Amino acid sequence: MVGGLAVLAIPSYRIPYDNVVEGVEDLTKSFGVKLYLNTKVMCGERHDEGDDFVKQVVDLRDIAKEYNAVIITTGTWRSRKLGVSGEDAKGVVDALTFLYRLRLAEYGLVKEPWPKVRKVIVVGAGLSAIDAAEEALRLGAEEVYLVYRRTKKEAPAGEYYINDLIAKGIKWIELAAPTKIVVENGFAKAVEFQRMRLGPPDKTGRPAPIPIPGSEFVIEAELVISAVGEVSTPPFTQECAELRQFLDEKGYIVSRGYRLGNTNMFVAGDVLTGPTKLGEACRNGLYAAKDAERFLRGV
Amino acid sequence: MSKAVGNPMLLRWIDYNKCIGCGVCSAVCDFTHNGIPFIKLYDIGGGLIKPISCFHCTKAPCIEVCPTKAMKRDDDGAVYVDESRCIGCLACLYACPYGIPELSTATKTSIKCDLCKQLRGDGLEPACVAMCPTKAIVMGMPQVVFDEAKKRALTRIMKAVMSFGGPV
Ligand code: SF4
Ligand code: SF4
Repeated sequence: MVGGLAVLAIPSYRIPYDNVVEGVEDLTKSFGVKLYLNTKVMCGERHDEGDDFVKQVVDLRDIAKEYNAVIITTGTWRSRKLGVSGEDAKGVVDALTFLYRLRLAEYGLVKEPWPKVRKVIVVGAGLSAIDAAEEALRLGAEEVYLVYRRTKKEAPAGEYYINDLIAKGIKWIELAAPTKIVVENGFAKAVEFQRMRLGPPDKTGRPAPIPIPGSEFVIEAELVISAVGEVSTPPFTQECAELRQFLDEKGYIVSRGYRLGNTNMFVAGDVLTGPTKLGEACRNGLYAAKDAERFLRGV
Repeated sequence: MSKAVGNPMLLRWIDYNKCIGCGVCSAVCDFTHNGIPFIKLYDIGGGLIKPISCFHCTKAPCIEVCPTKAMKRDDDGAVYVDESRCIGCLACLYACPYGIPELSTATKTSIKCDLCKQLRGDGLEPACVAMCPTKAIVMGMPQVVFDEAKKRALTRIMKAVMSFGGPV
């Protein structure tokens, strides 16, 4: 399946599938682009969301040898963890996987995306969080909680979208962060949260959430969706001796421009910048392609 | 002839109901105009982000006030700046109800959306129209655009009226 997050995660009520397909057809029919599907390009080992669709893995180094130029646009297919106990229980899922399975079900690729649930908790307040919360409502959940450790004002998705969800029936809880997931017989049953207050600005420039001791409270849920951010998934890891120089200690790509050092490899989109909106990734991709084209012409 | 009042053959309409504020329109505009986008997104507060660009007004005040007749309308109805005539006084910006024209530091002239004159010359659509993933930017003969707008509104109404416990 071609189209990345626009097809596999962003809900179809935002971007209709057919619109992306049209673009893909334009590429293959009018521009002669050849697609290799179900193929993961990798140097080193790493599990990413969506790996279940991989039928063959090819080595990035071989591809770089075989082709004159390579543009890497592998996106952000890994989710941050909540970092609390119980996270591995059944009924706990990251937003990307949650949305991704819903889309697969729409395309008839999986039968039942998620069992019917009554109570859902979404942790986070970014775009994936609000998409997950709205989809949970659409799935027929009776209670959907959206819980964020700062306030509406700091929510990355913006106050407007949070208010929109509240109007649609979401229960918004701010200034609270999960401390553990209550598990029974291997299934998530509830989440324990701790109240926060806002302190002085942190590294990100936003007020830092500070836990208030003794303020724990519990919300029951059958499905817990963590939406605390995605991280980039470059097609190489620290194990890849030739390319590790382009990674920082966290495994993110460090590059001054779109070209990776003096190689014939270029990188663009969210894998380079971390999660952005489509437009930013698209702009990046265009300029990276321009650089690659110049490189191919030898100027 | 400055054609302040024209009969546009082409009309561009942004369907703000469909637009998700992704910024693809602005990105492709930026790329096709060497780093300067003529459709831009703004956060009007609380994270509601939408694009705005020239409306190519049928009675364009920017054309009326331009002292050097640099602001013109082409045969399709697109309002554009003739850079060879423009003196960069920005009378057009004062006249424009939407604050659209900008001053280019490179050419020292007013600059604004020309509905991708070059692409249209090659028989292509303006970049923003072609690339918007939600088809929020509609362009065509005026009646085609008006009909599409009404059809979309009707679809929304019918979805709300006819869905029994359907999607939220
Ligand atoms: S590309 Fe379309 S959906 Fe995205 S911001 Fe522009 S008009 Fe809106
Ligand atoms: S620049 Fe302003 S006044 Fe001129 S056509 Fe565009 S929107 Fe109308």
